[in-house]
Amino acid sequence: MTTQAHAEDLLRELAPQVLGALLRRHGELDLCEDAVQEALLEAATTWPKRGLPDNPRAWLITVATRRLIDLIRAEHARRGREERFAFGAPPAEVLRIPGEDVGMDRDDSLMLMLLCCHPALTAPSQIALTLRAVGGLTTAEIASAFFVPEATMAQRISRAKQRIRDAGATFAMPPARELDARLAAVMHVLYLIFNEGYTAPSRTPASDPETQVELTTEAIRLTRQLYRLRPEDTEISGLLALMLLTEARRPGRLTPGGDLVDLAEQDRTRWNRALIDEGVELITGALASGPVGAYQLQAAIAAVHDEAAGAEDTDWPQIMALYLMLDLAAPNPMATLSLAVAVAHVRGPLAGLDVLATLDDDARVVGHHRLFAVRGHLLEMAGDRAAAREAFQGALRRTASTAEKRYLRNRIDHLT
Amino acid sequence: MKYIAIIYGNKDLWESFSAEEMTRAIAEQDAFNRRYVESGELLGAYGLGDELTARTVRVRGGVPAVTDGPYIEAKEFVSSFCLLDVENEARALELAAQMPFAAQNAVEVWPILHEAGTEM
Repeated sequence: MTTQAHAEDLLRELAPQVLGALLRRHGELDLCEDAVQEALLEAATTWPKRGLPDNPRAWLITVATRRLIDLIRAEHARRGREERFAFGAPPAEVLRIPGEDVGMDRDDSLMLMLLCCHPALTAPSQIALTLRAVGGLTTAEIASAFFVPEATMAQRISRAKQRIRDAGATFAMPPARELDARLAAVMHVLYLIFNEGYTAPSRTPASDPETQVELTTEAIRLTRQLYRLRPEDTEISGLLALMLLTEARRPGRLTPGGDLVDLAEQDRTRWNRALIDEGVELITGALASGPVGAYQLQAAIAAVHDEAAGAEDTDWPQIMALYLMLDLAAPNPMATLSLAVAVAHVRGPLAGLDVLATLDDDARVVGHHRLFAVRGHLLEMAGDRAAAREAFQGALRRTASTAEKRYLRNRIDHLT
Repeated sequence: MKYIAIIYGNKDLWESFSAEEMTRAIAEQDAFNRRYVESGELLGAYGLGDELTARTVRVRGGVPAVTDGPYIEAKEFVSSFCLLDVENEARALELAAQMPFAAQNAVEVWPILHEAGTEM
C-alpha cells in the first residue's frame, strides 16, 4: 500500500473518532462536522509531504478544534453576538493515545451513526450524512458515487445537518425503548449504500478517478465498525455477512462489456473465496446464537448459493426452506418472487408459477418488471417459449435499468 | 432512483388563472422546491419558455434544418419539470402529489433510465 493510500484509510478510520471528540465538547453537528472536514483536508495535503504525525488522532483533534473555534467565532461575529464559548487547547483526555480507552470511542461512533440516520431525515440525506460524517468521504466523492452534481450534494449535507439541529437531536444515546428502531434505521442506510454500489455499473469513462470510491467497500467498512461496536447483535452480524457473501460474487456478475450475467451462468472460480469463508463463518455463528431476522436469513441464502461448486450443485430445498422462513419473518413481495424461483427448482416450474400467481392481486408488485422477468424465467423452464418471450418483453418495457434491458433483449433473442 | 415530474399546459390554460391564483401557485411551488431541495430529494426545478420560442432541429443529408415550434403537435406542451432523486417510485408519486399543479390539472411522473441493474 502506498503512503498516500495508507494515509487515506487512516483518515477515514479516524474521522468519526475525531468528530465524536469534538461533539462531546460542543454539541452542534454542523459546525463540528465542517471543522473535521477541514482538518481531514489539511491532513490529506500535509501528511503525504511531511510524513504521519506521531499521534495522528491527537493531531486531527487539535487542528479540528482550532478550526471549530474559528467557525464559532465567525458564526458569532456574523450574528453580532458576544462570544459565549471559551476554548483553550483540547484537554488531555481527548488527546490520549488511540487504544488507551476504547470505551469512549465505541459510544462516540455508535452515537454518531445513530445521529446521522436520525428519523427526521429522508433516506438520501441519511446516506449522504453517514458517508461524510462517519465514513469521512469528501462531498465530491459522495456526489460522484450517486451521480449528482457536487453542489447538490453539498447542499443536501448542509441541510441535513441543519435539520438535525432543528429537530433538537443531541449527541447522546437514544433511550432504550427507541434503540432497536434507531439501529434498524442505521442498518437500512448501510444496506442502501451497499446496494447502490453493488448494482452500479462499472464506472463510466467520464467519472473522475480522483473522486471514485467503491460504495460496497465503504458500506462493508462501516458495517464492520457497527459490528465491532455491537458484536452481540445477530442482525448486524447477518447484515455484514450478507454484504460479504454478495460482494464475493461481484467479479462474476458482469461481462467485460458490462452485461449482467445470470447467477447460474457466472464463472464461480472468479468469486472471492476469502469473503465467502468470512461471510459463512459469520452467518453460521449468528444463526446459532440469537434471534433470527431478515438480514440473517438473506445471508444464509447467499451462503448456500456461494458454497455451491456449480449452479447444478445448488441446495435448492434449503434455499426454499429459508425463503419460506423469510416470508414469515418479513413478508415482502420481492422475497416471494425469489421463493417462486426456489420452488420451481425443487418442485418444478408449474409449482413456481403457482407461487407467482399469489402475487397477482398484490398492488405493491403488479406491473413490476421483476414479476414479469421471473414469470418469463419459469415459463422458459416449463418449455413454453412463446409465453416466456412475451413475459420478458413485458419486463423489458417496464424496467428503468439499461443493463437489465440489454439482458432481457438477449433472453428474448434466444427464445426467438 | 431518479424521476422527472412534468407539468403540461398552454397559453389558454395559463391565462385562465387569475394573477392572484398564479402568484399563490408560484409561492406554493417555491415552498415545495425549498422543502425538497432541503430533504435532498429535489435535484432541480426548471420552467420552460412559451412554445412559440421552442425550435426543432432536424439533420438531413448532414444539413441541419431548424423549424419553429415543438416537435410534437399537441394541444398542451411541456411547461416545467422537476428532477427528483428519491428512494422509490412510491416516494416520487408522493412528492408529485404535493406539487400545486397536481391539484389544478396533472403532474406526469417518468422514471429516468439508469445503468444499475441486478441479475434477474
